[in-house]
Amino acid sequence: MVAPVAALRVVRCGGSSLHGARAVFSADSKYLLCASGDFVKMYSVATEETLRVMGGHADLVTGIQLNPRNHMQLYSSSLDGSIKLWDFMDGIPIKTFTVGSKLLALYALASFEDSVFVVIPKSDTFQLVSVKLTKAAGQDLEAKELSVVLDDVDASPKCIAFGREGEYVASVKEVNLQVYFFKQKQLNRFSVSAAKTKSGNNQFSCVACHPTEDCIATGHADGKIRLWRNFCHKKEYTFSTLHWHHDTVMDLAFSVEGTCLLSGGVESVLVLWRNESDCQKDFLPRLGSAIEYISMASDGALCCTLHSDNRITIINSNLRFAKSIQGLIKSANVKTGLVVDPRTKALVLNGEPGHLQFYCLQSDQQLFSLDIVQRQYIHQAGLNQADLVKVAFSAQGKWLATVEEREEVTDPELQLKLWFYDEETQSFKLNTRINMPHEDHITDMCFRDMDELEDDSLILVTTGRDCVFKVWVMVEDTDPEGNVSWSCDFVGSYHNYQATNCCFSEDGSLLAVSFEETVTVWDSVTWDLKCTFCHPPGKIRNICFGRLTCSKYLIGATDYGFLCCWNLLSCACKIRLKVCSSDPSTTKCILGFAVFVFKPNEPRPIYIQRNLCREKIQLAAFVPRDEPETVGSEKHLWLRRSQLFFLTDTQELMTLSTKSLQERLTPSSKQLAVEESLPVTPFSLLLGKHRRQQSQEDIGLGKIIVRNKREQDSPAVKELLHTPAHVLPSASFLCPVFIDSLLISKEKKSAEEVADEVEMESEKTEDDSDEERDITEMEQEDTSPVELLGEMTCKLSKSQEKELRKIRKMDYSWISAF
Amino acid sequence: MAAAACGGEAAAAAAALCAFSPRDRRFFAISGPDGRLRVWETANSRLQQEYVPSAHLSAACTCLAWAPPGGRPPPSKDGPQRKKRKSEVAEVDKQLDILAIGTAVGSILLYSTVKGELQSKLDGGHDNKVNCVRWHQDNCCLYSCSDDKHIVEWNTQTCKVKCKWKGDNSSVTSLCISPDGKMLLSAGRTIKLWDLETKEVYRHFTGHATSVSSLMFTTVKPMNENKPFDGITGLYFLSGAIHDRLLSVWQIRSDRKEKNAVMSFTVTDEPTFIDLTVSEVKEEPVKLAVVCRDGQLHLFEHILNGYCKKPLTSNCTIQIATPGNDGDSTPKPVPVLAAAFCSDKQSLLLVYGNVLQPIIEKVSLNTTESHICLIRDIQKVLSLKTDVAVTKVKTPVVNSDTKVLVPGVPGHSTAVKTPSSGKEKKKNKRKPGETEESIEERLGALDIDVSKVKTPGGLPQTDSFVVLLVQGLESNDAEILNRVLNTRKEHVIKNTVARMPIHAVIPLLHELTKRLQGNPYSASLMVRWLKSVFTLHASYLSTLPDLIPQLGMLYQLMESRVKTLQKLSRLHGRLFILVTQVAASEAVQDVTEVNQTAKLVYEDGKCCILGIARLLNSCDRQYLMAVRRVPVRVQSEQDVKVVDVSVCPCTLPVSPFFLLQLHPV
Repeated sequence: MVAPVAALRVVRCGGSSLHGARAVFSADSKYLLCASGDFVKMYSVATEETLRVMGGHADLVTGIQLNPRNHMQLYSSSLDGSIKLWDFMDGIPIKTFTVGSKLLALYALASFEDSVFVVIPKSDTFQLVSVKLTKAAGQDLEAKELSVVLDDVDASPKCIAFGREGEYVASVKEVNLQVYFFKQKQLNRFSVSAAKTKSGNNQFSCVACHPTEDCIATGHADGKIRLWRNFCHKKEYTFSTLHWHHDTVMDLAFSVEGTCLLSGGVESVLVLWRNESDCQKDFLPRLGSAIEYISMASDGALCCTLHSDNRITIINSNLRFAKSIQGLIKSANVKTGLVVDPRTKALVLNGEPGHLQFYCLQSDQQLFSLDIVQRQYIHQAGLNQADLVKVAFSAQGKWLATVEEREEVTDPELQLKLWFYDEETQSFKLNTRINMPHEDHITDMCFRDMDELEDDSLILVTTGRDCVFKVWVMVEDTDPEGNVSWSCDFVGSYHNYQATNCCFSEDGSLLAVSFEETVTVWDSVTWDLKCTFCHPPGKIRNICFGRLTCSKYLIGATDYGFLCCWNLLSCACKIRLKVCSSDPSTTKCILGFAVFVFKPNEPRPIYIQRNLCREKIQLAAFVPRDEPETVGSEKHLWLRRSQLFFLTDTQELMTLSTKSLQERLTPSSKQLAVEESLPVTPFSLLLGKHRRQQSQEDIGLGKIIVRNKREQDSPAVKELLHTPAHVLPSASFLCPVFIDSLLISKEKKSAEEVADEVEMESEKTEDDSDEERDITEMEQEDTSPVELLGEMTCKLSKSQEKELRKIRKMDYSWISAF
Repeated sequence: MAAAACGGEAAAAAAALCAFSPRDRRFFAISGPDGRLRVWETANSRLQQEYVPSAHLSAACTCLAWAPPGGRPPPSKDGPQRKKRKSEVAEVDKQLDILAIGTAVGSILLYSTVKGELQSKLDGGHDNKVNCVRWHQDNCCLYSCSDDKHIVEWNTQTCKVKCKWKGDNSSVTSLCISPDGKMLLSAGRTIKLWDLETKEVYRHFTGHATSVSSLMFTTVKPMNENKPFDGITGLYFLSGAIHDRLLSVWQIRSDRKEKNAVMSFTVTDEPTFIDLTVSEVKEEPVKLAVVCRDGQLHLFEHILNGYCKKPLTSNCTIQIATPGNDGDSTPKPVPVLAAAFCSDKQSLLLVYGNVLQPIIEKVSLNTTESHICLIRDIQKVLSLKTDVAVTKVKTPVVNSDTKVLVPGVPGHSTAVKTPSSGKEKKKNKRKPGETEESIEERLGALDIDVSKVKTPGGLPQTDSFVVLLVQGLESNDAEILNRVLNTRKEHVIKNTVARMPIHAVIPLLHELTKRLQGNPYSASLMVRWLKSVFTLHASYLSTLPDLIPQLGMLYQLMESRVKTLQKLSRLHGRLFILVTQVAASEAVQDVTEVNQTAKLVYEDGKCCILGIARLLNSCDRQYLMAVRRVPVRVQSEQDVKVVDVSVCPCTLPVSPFFLLQLHPV
């Protein structure tokens, strides 16, 4: 009964690494673009929402850059050897340029027409090449015109930076710094001493170039930052050193004006160096995890840091947290497995070190992260710190049990914490803390899932490598308040074997505990050993009871890929099969790269999917649906009540979907096509009213004012009127520009004058009108243009005109002085 | 709006100024009296965004409506669409992100919650306060009504007025679109049903004395399906009016005879927020959640089926109050601002507290009680939330009253009971050498006992200590016990223990156990006492029949305490035994003068212990004496279950477990 593979699709729903490239802010700093696995994601800075996911690359995206000539477009490069040009506002790919070899980094510069720079591998090393992007029509184009700029560069995109206006490129590798000047075609090499100093090695780790000056900042593996100057000379170069980081400087970024330098590293502290001095620095600590990339918005108001745990933090220019975009936090090792919180319906797993993340599957966002360990995490290599290893929820989510562990040379330090969800304060409250519940690692933990109306039915079982399993029950305290706390009720063991797994049957009457190769079944009331099952070869890796109609079956998975199913009524082994996760409705299993889904009472899998993703599947979990989904095919009935999620090695979360693509896509495309008709601001309203009034006057005044209006439309005036007042330069600077713009340019006037001269005798009246025009312009120098124009034109008498004409003659000289 | 005007009443201000995002209720938008629009995430009650309309003071928000899901047919299937399809991305199930905001001056703002910016402004439709906005569920039309007596149909794509007509002789206060999208209900004082195509009145419903504040369809299909369904006939709808404590249910009938409401629901105050689950099947009851101005929430569950004369009262009333146990002693009511059913129709999202910072909670309803009062400490909830804004990190509460179980404390682990356990077997295989030593130890102990009783060299101080100790143990007076037990002088302790009456030994041990679990400093003092008790009263203890339950806890405590440096403490224990052995044998020399002949030779015991004893040729007699004093029948070697002799901490050489495990027969 193998379902046709085509019917079910594997769909990505979260996770995936954000470490491909630096994030890029859109030109207006409203959106943030990130490379995420094979996709480019667009986030709204204001709301932290994912606006768009642009997919099309067949492999990891390694670089994204805004098109320097069109800020609505984005270049992206990928390991699949193609560069794509996107219209990111609409999420449409415009062009695809196929380069052919793997692309490891991408740089786009305004000063280089039609070409971008990429890093490609060449035998063992890598080289920086410029790629000419043809302007030919068509979507899929070949880009074959490659010219090598630098040889022997580092593969990391952080190791190459372009200097101001693209005059030079700096590349670092190991202990060498290369600077190549494009105009002079000159290559300068510098190196720091390769000898390892006592503070560590001083290999380069990243490089950044000053936006306006000839200055290169390099980060080193020993935590130093060097600022290089005068590097156009091979010998007389200078450098100064800044040192705060204790470990590798992961990334560097200059502010837009170049006055500040931002650096970050594994300490998860963002350091802001002012004026390139060692003593003026500011810090933004506690960013959660190591900083991988730093990028600045083009207006300098925001900067963003990408972290090693897939978090994006957006930071104000005054070093304050603004936003934090976090999907599925990547943790070094998901030891807790995938657990579903019955209360919030969120997926719960390891988050930041010592935290438990509650991840909302529907919105691909973290709901919150629960600080279980409550100890300051010290970011230092080789330091053993407490981390969460096991987590279990009771049936209604009222109780949460966590196990934290700190690796020691001799014995691990263990703590079992039992948290109670306090509805009064809407938060978890620690009820009981048990130090060293077992003498060795805890291998499994489970609650007895019964209807929780009576609390005394709640039982927690922990199994440990110290060969025992312990049963914990709630007892009422002796103090008058009658609080409850947990204590051990029973300790069981079996032939001194390590206990590996435990599971309660659906009705809670039986407890199955696996001891290496043997499964033991215990009565949960008297704690008597009922029976044992053993099916060598292989140790039991996972056990679980069937549910509902299959509750009489106990399923165990062993090391060698066998799945055993025992009938508890007859105590007979029913099925032995290859394949580990349990589901509330029936039981289904998963292994390695393939997914097998079984019904416990049938020996054949109801669903097999092999090679469903590139990475190995680590964990899987069934998540119950809120409302049963309508499943078209009979074969996928098992997906009706719950959804299967699985986590791969790279911490991508996948799911199986029965819906066809069209249906799945509709939610995103259903956004209203509301035409953007932004209301006008009060100021622009004022301006608009002003203009309207003006245009009415224009009609009344005819030709003269028409000319006048044209002048108002000149770029300088426009700029003056449309720039916010607080960013305008001083009035003394503006005045000449403004006046200039109001004048008729000299060339034009001279031409007109010639014409005037010719026609002066014959048509005097016309000349007059010309003069009038000039006069009005002179008046404008000190008064508002609109008000005076009307009166001036009608009031002028003949004599005045003559006088004014004289004035006009001398006039030109002093005005042109401006 | 009247509600906004009297901002003092927190509950009142929420009237109609808040809305849940449709379908999955992910967001909750609320406009406070300060004119700001805030969007909260319901899952973690976190402020998602805040929007301040530029004219929020002059043109306050008067009504809100989220655009419906699936508002627009998907775009034409051309190039870009196909490109997208190749990439298999699980699209985040985005709600339609537009929020329509009606203002007091007649303009309507369309705000994009995804982008966090104003999308467009609909102007020129109304010249007075907008009372209600409603989205059409299929096409992206928006309907609004206003105090200027008109109803306007907007095209939101072009932001133009599509149609405008006079809706009433007074202001139109509420709107609702029929489930099939072809009809529109409007209400001022009377309720009118309009045909949207022709914009003509189809039906009139009168009955409310005040202006209607809310309108809602409760069914999507008529209940009796024998007649062909024309899309509207047979449907029920619900209306609530201001200053009215009754919610009326009306039925649209074909016979034009709907003079009165079909039935009514009675609530305690004017309804401010209504949510319901639409019933699709005939048997399925309509669930209704009504939030009243007084901050209470009423839940109704009723199968709509024709007339019902009597007003129905609520099935369940939910109130929220502060615990009121600390500081301000009286519990204060917390107003419920809004409530909505979750998609599973079982649980309810409750919004309560302050309008500026509401708390959103999911409550599952499975009680049959008619009145529920939820106790919520909103102060604490808010204080927990303040730093969540950016980091999303929640710190669970860790109080000092948390119970801590460390190894050795009762409840940390129970004794291994199963016979199949390997642990005990291992213990059985202990070398007999240890047994030998501990017997010797016991002999020594007895010796001291005897000798001390004999020699009256004890200090008078010790005497009083004994009295004090016994008094303290009897009265359980901590002060006296502290005075006695905090002694550091070794000989004082020894003398005290030697002279204390035998019945006080067990209480003393219990007291010591309790104190051992306390802080480590006092534990180190207690160990000295314990040591002398075990050396001096071992024989008595071994006679007790219920020794295991009595001292089991102490045993576990010791076992866990010596775990860290097990080998070293074992060595120390053995050395100590050797030393005391030597000392004892010297003492024996002195004591042998005393006539202490063995009167009884232990017969029943298998010769194992005797054999061991024989090895100690220097103290045969002492040994026998010990055996005589122990009313124990040693059956076999197996019965002598010697627990580790040296398990005791470095200061406690004598194993009580030897005694413990000698099962009395």
